[in-house]
Amino acid sequence: MLKIEDMHVYYGAIHAIKGVSFEVGEGEIVALIGANGAGKSTILKTVSGLMHPRSGSIQFCGEDISHMDAYKLLRHGLAHVPEGRRIFLQMTVQENLEMGAYIKKEVSQQDLEKVFTLFPRLKERRKQIAGTLSGGEQQMLAMSRALMSHPKLMMLDEPSMGLAPILVDQIFDIIKELHKDGTTILLVEQNARKALQIADRAYVLETGNITLSGTGAELASSDAVRKAYLGG
Amino acid sequence: MRILQYLINGISIGSVYAIIALGYTMVYGIAKMLNFAHGDVIMVGAYISFCVTSYLGLPAWAGVLAAVAVCTVLGVVIEGLAYKPLRGTPSLAVLITAIGVSYFLQNAAQLIWSSSPKNFSSIVTMKPISMAGGKLVITGEVLLTVAACILVMVGLTLFTGKTRTGKAMRAVSEDRDAAQLMGINVNRTISLTFAIGSALAAIAGVLLCSTVPTLQPTTGSMPGIRAFTAAVFGGIGSIPGAMLGGILLGIIETFSKAYLSTQFSDAIVFSVLIIILLVKPAGLLGRQMQEKV
Repeated sequence: MLKIEDMHVYYGAIHAIKGVSFEVGEGEIVALIGANGAGKSTILKTVSGLMHPRSGSIQFCGEDISHMDAYKLLRHGLAHVPEGRRIFLQMTVQENLEMGAYIKKEVSQQDLEKVFTLFPRLKERRKQIAGTLSGGEQQMLAMSRALMSHPKLMMLDEPSMGLAPILVDQIFDIIKELHKDGTTILLVEQNARKALQIADRAYVLETGNITLSGTGAELASSDAVRKAYLGG
Repeated sequence: MRILQYLINGISIGSVYAIIALGYTMVYGIAKMLNFAHGDVIMVGAYISFCVTSYLGLPAWAGVLAAVAVCTVLGVVIEGLAYKPLRGTPSLAVLITAIGVSYFLQNAAQLIWSSSPKNFSSIVTMKPISMAGGKLVITGEVLLTVAACILVMVGLTLFTGKTRTGKAMRAVSEDRDAAQLMGINVNRTISLTFAIGSALAAIAGVLLCSTVPTLQPTTGSMPGIRAFTAAVFGGIGSIPGAMLGGILLGIIETFSKAYLSTQFSDAIVFSVLIIILLVKPAGLLGRQMQEKV
């Protein structure tokens, strides 16, 4: 579904992503793990068109999207829940969801109901300004907002960041549920343990290079990964 | 009775400032730039209306329509040619460009219409309403200006609050990248903002020149600066703030002209602004900007 080949990304003169290649197949959960500054978020931003690669190719469902504008990609079925959630804090929960369905022209009640069954808390707060939500609720809203357009592939950037352990479990349960419903998932996480538990496959990213790859279980039991990311 | 008269006049000129300030504040909110050429779009609007009514002899409404149409296109063209290529560059570059566009418009107007003032005839034909034995006079211009201001305010509030495009505009204003991830075309949203702002400038130009009938290439610059002040005063980026700021500024200006000094009225107006900003740096209705981490 998503195929990245020898992608190089720069921030001005800084060479942030140094020739990364990886794939996400339809129906998979793929995790990208790595330390802070390894380039995980940069990869997602480049795939979603907020940045563009200097060389290499990004293919989504057989189409080259490496230089496509970000706003067009959602129409192709690629959604990105960015780092830090980036919900519209001054708009209501309902309005945020409407923006998620912006490309649909009309917000379908059915989609709203579906999101509210996944996240009942949001239903209670639909008239509330999003900035007043707690961190966990904001993450739920960010994910719901992305779901409103029925994406084929959902890219999640650090969905567990800054959340209490119980909320982290809840968010990961929901990722599994979305996956069961047929959404392909590309997950970027610092919480390597959690990510490897649910991932079909995973890649380890170190300073702009992919250094290891394998199934979630393989990586979780690999010595190198355990030492570096799972605390021994 | 005299105080009431000054108050009415102040609200009237303040309504013009408010309509101009709305253009400043919307463009600032969405494109994050100060469009200092905005005042000169007012002047262009007034000239267009003047030409259509005085040279072509068409009725006033045709003049207003032509002014709105020309300014809308002008706003979009200015944005596309002058500001869009600078997206992503430091804001100073854009600011200097805006000042350049401002001078360009003034000089172009001088070439086309010469620098000698034109006598703009009011688009209002209604007779003034006289009350309290002639001590209180409400002119048709005042009524029209205030009505236009209320209409614009209500229209914009409904537009940004209820329509899909209006909400998308607020989304862009809050977080440009996140808006793109929702499938919102940011460039088109910015163009639309310039179109709306410039259409409002055209209306303001016609209203301004109906009240103050001298039209020359620099007609827009001082009201433009006052309206910018009004936008900052009310809290830049905020639509109700621009409204409140504009009307308060008009009232303060009229009262200081009446009771203190005509010559120093601008100085007084700007002193009030400085004091307000010292107490409330984000303006009356502005949100305190939070640094994003």
